[in-house]
Amino acid sequence: MTTALTPGAGTPPQASRINRKVLIAGIAIVVPLLAVLVANLGRDPHTVRSPLVGRQAPPFSLVPVGGGRPVTLESLRGKPAVINFWATWCVPCFEEHAALTAAAKGLRDVQFLGIVYEDDEARTLEFVKQRGSAYPSLMDADGRVAIAYGVFGVPETFFIDGNGRIVEKYVGPLQRSTIAALVEQARGEGR
Amino acid sequence: MLPILGRTLILLALLAASAGAVTGFVTGKNPSPAGWTWTRRLAYAFAAFMVLANLTMEYALLTHDFSVSYVAHVGSRAVPTWVSIVSLWSSLEGSILFWGLVMGAYVAFATWRNADRHPEYMPYAVGVWLACGAFFSFLLAGPAQPFATVANPLADGPGPNPLLQNHYLMVIHPPFLYSGYVGMTIPFGLACAALLVGRLGNDFIRPLRNFLLLSWIFLTCAIVLGGWWAYEVLGWGGYWAWDPVENASFLPWLTATAALHSALLVERKGVLKAWTVILVLSTYLLTILGTFMTRSGVFNSVHSFTQSAIGPTILVFLAAALLFSLALLALRVDTLGADGRLETGPSRDVLFLVQNLLFVLFTFTVLLGTVFPLVVEAVRGVQMSVGRPYFDRMSVPIGVALLFVMGVGPALPWGRATPRQLRSALLPPLVGACLLGAVGLALGVRNPWTVLALFFGGYTAQVTLSEMFLPVRQRMRSHGEGLLEAFRQTQSRGRRRLGAYIVHAGAVVAIVAVAVSSTMGSSKEIQLRKGEATTLGAYTFTFVAAEKVVEPHRDSLLARVDVSKGGRSLGSLYPRMNQYESQREPIGSPAVRSSLTEDLYLSIHNIDTDAGTVGLLVLVNPMVTWIWIATGVMALGGLVALLPRLRSATAPARVAAPSAPIALGGSN
Amino acid sequence: MKPFAVALAALFASAAGAGSPPASTAGMGPPRGQPLSGAALDARTEDVGGLLRCPVCQGLSVADSPSTMARNMKAEVREKLAAGYDQEQILAYFERSYGEFVRLEPSLHGVNWVVWFGPILALLAGGAAIAWALKRTGRKASVDSSAPAADLPARDTLPGDEQLAAAVRRVRALAYGWPGGIPPKAAP
Repeated sequence: MTTALTPGAGTPPQASRINRKVLIAGIAIVVPLLAVLVANLGRDPHTVRSPLVGRQAPPFSLVPVGGGRPVTLESLRGKPAVINFWATWCVPCFEEHAALTAAAKGLRDVQFLGIVYEDDEARTLEFVKQRGSAYPSLMDADGRVAIAYGVFGVPETFFIDGNGRIVEKYVGPLQRSTIAALVEQARGEGR
Repeated sequence: MLPILGRTLILLALLAASAGAVTGFVTGKNPSPAGWTWTRRLAYAFAAFMVLANLTMEYALLTHDFSVSYVAHVGSRAVPTWVSIVSLWSSLEGSILFWGLVMGAYVAFATWRNADRHPEYMPYAVGVWLACGAFFSFLLAGPAQPFATVANPLADGPGPNPLLQNHYLMVIHPPFLYSGYVGMTIPFGLACAALLVGRLGNDFIRPLRNFLLLSWIFLTCAIVLGGWWAYEVLGWGGYWAWDPVENASFLPWLTATAALHSALLVERKGVLKAWTVILVLSTYLLTILGTFMTRSGVFNSVHSFTQSAIGPTILVFLAAALLFSLALLALRVDTLGADGRLETGPSRDVLFLVQNLLFVLFTFTVLLGTVFPLVVEAVRGVQMSVGRPYFDRMSVPIGVALLFVMGVGPALPWGRATPRQLRSALLPPLVGACLLGAVGLALGVRNPWTVLALFFGGYTAQVTLSEMFLPVRQRMRSHGEGLLEAFRQTQSRGRRRLGAYIVHAGAVVAIVAVAVSSTMGSSKEIQLRKGEATTLGAYTFTFVAAEKVVEPHRDSLLARVDVSKGGRSLGSLYPRMNQYESQREPIGSPAVRSSLTEDLYLSIHNIDTDAGTVGLLVLVNPMVTWIWIATGVMALGGLVALLPRLRSATAPARVAAPSAPIALGGSN
Repeated sequence: MKPFAVALAALFASAAGAGSPPASTAGMGPPRGQPLSGAALDARTEDVGGLLRCPVCQGLSVADSPSTMARNMKAEVREKLAAGYDQEQILAYFERSYGEFVRLEPSLHGVNWVVWFGPILALLAGGAAIAWALKRTGRKASVDSSAPAADLPARDTLPGDEQLAAAVRRVRALAYGWPGGIPPKAAP
């Protein structure tokens, strides 16, 4: 240990000056990373915009709850349609159901439709009996129509114009005023 | 009362940390004994206030004081006492408070251990730690206030996230994760100090490496505990889905592993100092990025906490830490010049570089894949995904290459070797490689990557074992000692080396087990009526009954499935669906029957007790248990390498004993 | 035989399209692959399902997820494979309703090249950097063959720079009270 304090033969530290290579490489990584994170701040990754908006609505043919003749998208042609995906296990759908029912009663020239998402027919029938409904709800037993419409969860509602084109997709429970506004939009674009 | 006490303690911690950061930097610049004493005192004070704040929160949780906002948020009189205790880290604000506790403990421990060593570095290091501590105190004082006063407290609360109550692994995973994550602050501070001082000597690389290793052990365990939890709870039969939050814990692990290796070259050869410092800084920055990922709500993940003001605050800190590190590196990195030089021919030296390249490449790939959807969103305004198929495709070749390097590297000698030495080092392990490869092929492995993993796994296993026992053999020959005595003697001398090879042994098993379990499993989805049976491989599964079990905190539907193999009964499995009051979707609890060769995994898709039907996912997963065992081995190896260093460091004379270069270089 | 089978499958598919679930093949065009069945169908269903993101579970693929939605999607994948649609057609079908989001593996176009070839470029750059550094070290080594300093016991050593060494001594003297910055046990 006696010789321990002899100076190490390290290269003498250079005078403090900027290492350009490190700086440039660092900036090349740090700035884009921060920019991307800042740009995405506040965005909710859980809502995915639908690529179907502005396109023709996917066709379907489904049997109403409780039986009857299948309803097809084709049969709705000529007037705006509101297609609401819902389920009895979905709590926000309850209030929305009331709003949609009221809107359907008021807007006679608009075809309202419910499509039941991942639910049991008996339970749905029971629900409709208890709460009443002004429009048919269709059973989508194997979820094909929900998939074709790009549904992530319930409630989700599609507003379709008279030509069968999707004008808007609304995620979450609808209020009456929103329904009216979006129907107006579907009407305008259907002309 | 408690909210005010808690808030006061947080403010005091903020005060102590800020003041300590200032005195630390001032003392680093203008050394003075008083400055160093005060910096230490403030570090201990920060730790003490954090401990007290956490104790206050625990007291509030246990006494169900719903006037504390965090207790009102996660507390409940209905849950068992242990759930109340662990509720501390079950939700966002509490987890940051717990983070503060872990940080305080680390800072106090690291300060205490180095109180009379490395005087030129330590004030800077403590200054950096306390600057980070000040940020987290600020987070707790403002955006993530857990001690806000609830004006009209309710009589009871909702209780913590049911996932926490669903499985014990969710309880022990976060403490490990935070110990790994927060622990990286210590090497970060030490590396910053080395840059500020403009020197990284062999004496100072030791604390740097030891604290890196300590955090690495925790992080390794945390990552695998997370995977194990996913396997036992999520019900899809896998343990790793390359979810952003999983990646967030994996990224710093990769750079830390690279840094542990490059630090060895710093110590032995005096090279790669700047590079090691860059890796250590990156490790810390990646933990902060990971914290941002989990707590900002920007990333689409199952595990993340919900959106809040905490995200932007962490982003500001991340930006500050990134810019500080970058400025420090650009200004000072040239001061960390090499004292020695690397061997340039085929040697262990070069393989260390290849290893480092692969780990950094792995980090870059995972980071790119994780952040890429955000890039595309920002550039094109389109939402897209980068998921498991991408990561699998990219990581499999890198993982196999790492396995290869882990075999070839230790087989090669340090420094230059003659062609004959190379042959005698590299050829014998081919026996192990061919053996394991042949066993795999005989057992039906056909996936080329899995065959390659087995081949390299056999190679590396043989190298690792022979390296592990090389000193023992040498000693038996030179001293004429028996196997046990020779092992005892060598392991007390070359603990670190032994530890490193134990980690390698664990890593080989882990990689092989991952390769086999992910390519050799079989699965089946089936709908069964009561009394019906199905077969998968040699197993027969009979659905006996569906039952409903009501417990105070949850209702469960469970299926009794009898399992037999070749006519011999293996007992019953009870996969279940747990319905918690606060959640709409039931949480499945798969039933797993583990054995050393393979796991039987049953998970319920749907169950109807009235109709007596069940939809089951049945999986046979080979070798999964070995992943958990291998992780234990890796952690054990880390401890073996770490503990004698911690112990002997209190008696420095022994470590400082003549470290003749011949003794260092000769036996390896 | 082959074209006939494809044509038959197409005919069948269009017939099915006119019948019960018209949504499922709308806009997909004629099948471009071979109709599958048996074990091959099971294996391909897993493969293609593994490339589709389950919309309700985030992160997990349709093949992995136990959710109802994922199982419905998987059933649809299976039907389409059985009808002879190929992987790309099926992925494109789901992409039409869910957007690029639904593909777990980024498709090779536009900016996505970065995510696929970035790591390869990084590997090449890193390899080149190592090769360059080694070459430089090798050249330096042949010029200067003095013993590497790392072989010195580094504990308690001082930096080579005179000014810095003096500073370290001063710090040690202040902090430890060592006279002249030399540890007592090291002093002769």
